[in-house]
Amino acid sequence: MNGADQEHNEELASLVALNIATVAERSEHAQAIVAAPDLARLTGELRQTVLAFAQAIPLLDPPGYVRERILKAIGARVRAAIAPDGAGVSARPWLMAAAVLLAAGLTAALSTLFYRGQVADLRDGLARANDRAAAAEREVVDIRRTLGLAEERSRVMMSQAAVLMAPDMARIDLGGQAPVAPSSFARAFWSRNRGMVFAAEKLPATPVNKVYQLWVITAGQPPISAGLLAPDQQGSVTAFFSTPPDIPAPVALAVTLEPAGGVPAPTGEKYLVGLTGL
Amino acid sequence: MMWLLWVVADLTRSARRLPHRESADPAADAEAVARLAGGDPEALADIYDRHARLVYSLAFRIVGSQDEAEEVVQDVFVQAWKQAAKFDRARGAVVAWLLMMTRSRAIDRLRANRGLPTAGEISEVPDPADPSFGPEVRTLTAEQLAKVHAAIQALPLVQRITIELAYYEGLTHLEIAERLEQPLGTVKTRIRLGLMKVRDAVLETGA
Repeated sequence: MNGADQEHNEELASLVALNIATVAERSEHAQAIVAAPDLARLTGELRQTVLAFAQAIPLLDPPGYVRERILKAIGARVRAAIAPDGAGVSARPWLMAAAVLLAAGLTAALSTLFYRGQVADLRDGLARANDRAAAAEREVVDIRRTLGLAEERSRVMMSQAAVLMAPDMARIDLGGQAPVAPSSFARAFWSRNRGMVFAAEKLPATPVNKVYQLWVITAGQPPISAGLLAPDQQGSVTAFFSTPPDIPAPVALAVTLEPAGGVPAPTGEKYLVGLTGL
Repeated sequence: MMWLLWVVADLTRSARRLPHRESADPAADAEAVARLAGGDPEALADIYDRHARLVYSLAFRIVGSQDEAEEVVQDVFVQAWKQAAKFDRARGAVVAWLLMMTRSRAIDRLRANRGLPTAGEISEVPDPADPSFGPEVRTLTAEQLAKVHAAIQALPLVQRITIELAYYEGLTHLEIAERLEQPLGTVKTRIRLGLMKVRDAVLETGA
C-alpha cells in the first residue's frame, strides 16, 4: 500500500469513527478492511479516540428530578409488563357483593389510619418539593453561569475560526529575541475583514508589575498597541483581536515587556519580532 | 489619523479545568446491565448514579439547553433499559455504549432544531449488537484523560475546530466544508490529521 492509499484509509477510518461517513464511504471502508486488516485496528483506535472527546468536557450535575422522572417512567413500564390482564376472571354476583361489603367494612376501619398516613405523606411531599425547588434554583444559577462561559468561549472560537478560514488571511511568524527570549516563538493570523489571532509559546514568566504588550507597526506610523498578553505557566498564550477593516496593512508585529496595565507607546525590551511581508 | 481601535477580546486560553471523574467499574456496570436485562429497575438506578453526570454533561455540551439535555438523558436511559438484553460485556464498556447513544440522541435533537436531516448514517443509535461497536472501546482513567485532553488542546486550531464541529455539532464533512468555506478535501485532511494526533496520545497512555 502506498502513502496515498494509507492516508485515504486513515481518512475513511476517521470519518467512520466520527460517525459522519456517507453510505458510500462506509461501504468503501468495509471493503478496504478486507484488503487491509490493519484498518480494522486503526478504526478501533480512532473510535477510542473519539470517545475521549466525549469525556474531555467539564462535568455538570443533572437536576435531581431527572433521576426520579426516569426511574418512575421505567418503573411504570415494568409494572405494565408484568401486570395481569384480568382475562378469565368471571366472579359471581354474590361473591362480588360480598367483596363490596368487605371492602366497605375495611374502608371504615382503616379510614383513620389512612388519612393520618395521607397527611404525613403530604407533609413529606411538600418538604421534598421545597427542597427540589431550592435545588432547582441553585441549578439554574449554575447553568446560567456555565452557559455564559460556554457562549463566550464559543464566540471567541468562532471568531478565531473565521480569521483562520478567511480568504485574505495572512500568516506572520515572530521570532524570540536574544538575550531575553531566544527560545520564544509566535504566530499571528491576520485578516483585514475578520481580525487577528495571535499565539505565542515559551514566553518567559513576567516579573511582578510587568505585562507583555503586542504592537502593530505600520509604515510611517508609530506602533499601535493591539493589546496585552497573559501567558500561562508554560509561557503559552492565544488571543483574538477584532480589528477595524480600514487600518493600513501592518509591516511588522512586536511583543515588548511593559509596566502592568500597558503603555501608549513601547518602552520595554522586545521579546518577539516578526515582519509581515504584506 | 489615529486609528487605535483595536479591541482586546480575549487574552487568555480557555479554561482547562478537568472535571472530577467517577471511578470506572466496568465489572459492576456489566453486572448492573445484566440485572437490568432481567427486569430489575433498581439496576437502572445503579447505572444512572454512576454515569448520569457524564451523559448529562455530553448532552448539554451538544444541545446547549438544560431542558433538551434532560430529555436526552431520559431517552438514553430508556434506550439502555430496552437494549440491555442485547448488551455484550465482551464488546465494550457500558459507559462507552451510553456515550455513543447520548451523542446520537443529542445530535438528532440538535439537527432537528436546525432543520437538518436526522435520519440516516449520521443519526443512528448504536446497537450493542452492532459489530461496529467494537470491544476496543474503553473508558479512560483520569490520568489518561488529562494527557488526552492536553493533546486535544495542543491540536492546531483549525484541526480542533473541524473535529469539534463534527463531534459536538454533528455536522457532516460536507456541512463543515460549507460552514468553514473550505474544500471538502481540506476538511477531510484536517479531520484525519487531528484525530491521528489525538490517537497517538491515547495510545501513549496505554489505553
